[in-house]
Amino acid sequence: MSKVNACIIAGDMCKWGMREASYIDLAQEAAKACLDDIPGVKPKDIDGLLFASTFVGRRSCQANTAPVVAERLGLRPTSICARVDVLCAGGSTGILLAKGLVESGMSEMVMVSGCEKLYTPEMWQVQYDEIASIDHDWDGPNGMGPPPLWFSMIAKEHMKHYGTKREDLAAVSVANYGYGLTNPKGHFQKVITIEDVIEAKDIAPPLGLFDCCPLSDGAAAVLIASEERAKDLTDRPLVYLRGGAQVSLHSISANWPGEHLGDWPHLKLAGQKAYASAKISPDEVDVAQVHDCFSISEIIELEELGFCKKGEGGSFVASGQNKVGGSIPSNTDGGLLSSGHPFGATGIRQGIEILRQLQGRAKNQVEGAATGLTHNLSGGNVEHTIVVYGREPNK
Amino acid sequence: MEKPGIGIPFLEGKYSPTLDMWPLEAKEFNRTHTFYDNLKEGKFTTTKCKQCNYIAFPPRVICPECYSDELEWIELPKRGKVITMVEKWGGVAICFEPPLIDAWIDMGESSPVKRLLSRVINCEGGQLKEGDEVQLVVFDVPGHPIEKRKERIIAERVFFAFEPVK
Repeated sequence: MSKVNACIIAGDMCKWGMREASYIDLAQEAAKACLDDIPGVKPKDIDGLLFASTFVGRRSCQANTAPVVAERLGLRPTSICARVDVLCAGGSTGILLAKGLVESGMSEMVMVSGCEKLYTPEMWQVQYDEIASIDHDWDGPNGMGPPPLWFSMIAKEHMKHYGTKREDLAAVSVANYGYGLTNPKGHFQKVITIEDVIEAKDIAPPLGLFDCCPLSDGAAAVLIASEERAKDLTDRPLVYLRGGAQVSLHSISANWPGEHLGDWPHLKLAGQKAYASAKISPDEVDVAQVHDCFSISEIIELEELGFCKKGEGGSFVASGQNKVGGSIPSNTDGGLLSSGHPFGATGIRQGIEILRQLQGRAKNQVEGAATGLTHNLSGGNVEHTIVVYGREPNK
Repeated sequence: MEKPGIGIPFLEGKYSPTLDMWPLEAKEFNRTHTFYDNLKEGKFTTTKCKQCNYIAFPPRVICPECYSDELEWIELPKRGKVITMVEKWGGVAICFEPPLIDAWIDMGESSPVKRLLSRVINCEGGQLKEGDEVQLVVFDVPGHPIEKRKERIIAERVFFAFEPVK
């Protein structure tokens, strides 16, 4: 029997931001937008649902969410119907799981939906709930949870060990906000300058307002199907799920796996595993969506993923190598910094942008893009998730 | 007709672990309650495997290296040096008073726990800096009720942070 290849065939998101809507409203908006991206596919054609959401159980009081979502979306899953909770990497995890389900023959076409309704009727809960997003019993009482504290120390350590400058961090924010101007469904559409970033309100120094992604309400959805189904359903170029990896080496901050906080060996390992599974090297990646939850994150991620030398991420972004026309165009739809961050939906938004890039229909198109990568970190930087996409299937 | 209240009136005075920032430390809910019992005596401890001698932090009920469940409690150093730190004045979660000060602490080469993230308390804003010595400090935190048949007891709790060595 020949190998089944899984493809991403369609996707879209709803408007992200502070939304006057429930989580189930947002999931419906994203599912409609997704099916509008592939005329001809009906809800009844979809035989599986993976629903990525971390806070739906806490902020909307709905456990066992997947059947509720399936019903409201008009789906009748017969192969899989489950919720995925990997915080910021839930969407990417759903895509990796859907790849396995389709390639095994268990599922024919899976909708991977990601959704968070993070803003609650009383605003105290928005920050407070973050104590559930890290190792609660150990790091929560010590002030972790809301992540700027941790990433402030990460930025300071990277600056100390590698000479990364404040302006380098700002360059990431300016680049990603720039691309976000072309993403009307993202949280922000705002022109900012290096000076704006440096002079903005402090969040946790050296990180200011524009160095930190917002929390967002939002949803996104994609369809994953076999190559054979994909050929029947769309005339667009096929985009294959070539590989990926997910690495977790610790949970409590005290067991941080690096030599210092600017050293992320768990991401380096995830990159190596993902490249091996997709049978590519970093220099074959044409476009990347990396997890820019903070400006410093993108700098370290470009290093650990092998797009530049370790320690040189600051000068790499300052010279524009992370932009279209540079050596690794990154976050070409605005990234988390500008598009926002409804945790479970973020990896799906990234997958949608790679789909568009590899089909030649992105707003900030990388000419001839044939291989793309998405990356998420999750929790207190305790897990790294990578998906590799390509115009060619894995050999 | 009586007017409805705001929120969830019938839950007033009720306790829910999902909204609790502190751990459930009591023996009724936690097999590593010894950590907190020791903390009440000013001791900072964790578990060591009697089979393979592996020291794990945080403490647990099995050895993560060999899966033996024969563990003993050992004491950890209580002093360290600040590697880097951060102060947060605005946007601090409702459970903390600004400035919320956190430090990444070097516990020393001989310590089984090499580095630790901790809140730093008993410290004015703008004072703490890299290289400063800090030490463990234990403080009381609110207890929680436990229902035992018809009885309702209060489980008292403590937690730890670090403070500057004066």
